[in-house]
Amino acid sequence: MKKIFKIFKILLTVLLAAYSVIVIGFLFFSDKEDRYDFASHSQGSYLSQSMFEVLKFQNPQNDEIYFEQSVPFNKRGDYEKGFELLNKAVEYNPRVHLGYRGYMKLRFLRDFKGAIIDFDKLDKLTPNVIDTPWGEDIDFLRGEAYFGLGEYEKAIKHFDQSIENQGENWAEIQSYVYLGICETKLQNFDKAIVSYNRAINQSKYVCEAHLGLAKVYNEIGEIEKAKEHIIKAEEYFQYKRNDPYNEFLNEIYKSDILTLKSNLGV
Amino acid sequence: MISFLIALSITAWVYYQTTHRIGELEPNDRIDDNDFQLCNEDKIAEYYGMNTDYIGGKKAIKSKILNKLQFLDFKESGLLTYRFVVNCEGEIGRFRLKATNTDLQKIEVDSKNILEIENTLSELKNWNPAKNKAGNTYDSYYVLNFKIENKKIIDIF
Repeated sequence: MKKIFKIFKILLTVLLAAYSVIVIGFLFFSDKEDRYDFASHSQGSYLSQSMFEVLKFQNPQNDEIYFEQSVPFNKRGDYEKGFELLNKAVEYNPRVHLGYRGYMKLRFLRDFKGAIIDFDKLDKLTPNVIDTPWGEDIDFLRGEAYFGLGEYEKAIKHFDQSIENQGENWAEIQSYVYLGICETKLQNFDKAIVSYNRAINQSKYVCEAHLGLAKVYNEIGEIEKAKEHIIKAEEYFQYKRNDPYNEFLNEIYKSDILTLKSNLGV
Repeated sequence: MISFLIALSITAWVYYQTTHRIGELEPNDRIDDNDFQLCNEDKIAEYYGMNTDYIGGKKAIKSKILNKLQFLDFKESGLLTYRFVVNCEGEIGRFRLKATNTDLQKIEVDSKNILEIENTLSELKNWNPAKNKAGNTYDSYYVLNFKIENKKIIDIF
């Protein structure tokens, strides 16, 4: 009995030691790619952050680790910590991360000037390349940043460039909507109508363009056309542009449609 | 015995690390409204995962409170970022603030201003709590930014 107990004790010790070695081995010594993937997929957990800390200790100049570690902080509104990490990623690999930082400054911080500085720096670093920060055309994003600053002429220049970059039928449909809004702000109503119609020619479901057209037609006194488009804006409202993280600068709301509908007596 | 203690410590550490997430807001009796209750303290979703929002969106928030806060003066430009909980009943509480200047460095904000903003935020009553496809509602976090320029709040998003 004593011998069995001793064997059991040794077996248990070996098992517990093996368990400890496996866990520590995974945390500190397993393949770096595997640990990076694990930490990325468990984004936001303390364990993920601890693994990134270990990886940074072992690879102090790996930009991807800093970038990935920054993401949950910025999503949760801890921009001091998130951008401290993101700035490191940019320092170690500006070509890869400047665009994303600009995108974050634009969409998460509404730091329009900071975003433009990052996009311009990236553009200079990559001559003859049309950059696509976080998957969006760089001139579309620059246009959005100038729009945020209220510099509509510069915004128009970049939205036009973005359409040229991507081609008329492949361009981001919201480029045309932004062009319409900018032209409206500048009182160029004819140009605004053309821009909104370019969006609708791509897809009739662009409710932002219908709302924009309804506003312009109302402004220039073509009330029947305004009514026609406000009804379409409401009909296609379910397709509006939105994002789970942030409000877009040109985001429309049901209240915008209902207010104009009421003013038009629809 | 030693191997047992090491294994136990590692297990406890891994458990803690996997069950806690950055950005969690612990209750604090000293600063929180004691009437504000969560439906499940152990399961608080993020706003972006389950469509937590204000009825009418950020535009409605801005139109309701931006003007009310114009009497406040701030020393530095930057961002006031509030993170708080929208409980499963659509009530809000547990406000926590991170204030940063334009270089995203931490700054101090006058406590009277903080109180005014939190009181104004509490007036927002039309929240859509986090919801799953079956229609069940959950507690969730929410983030709201106040942009300060030239001593005033100029945007809420």
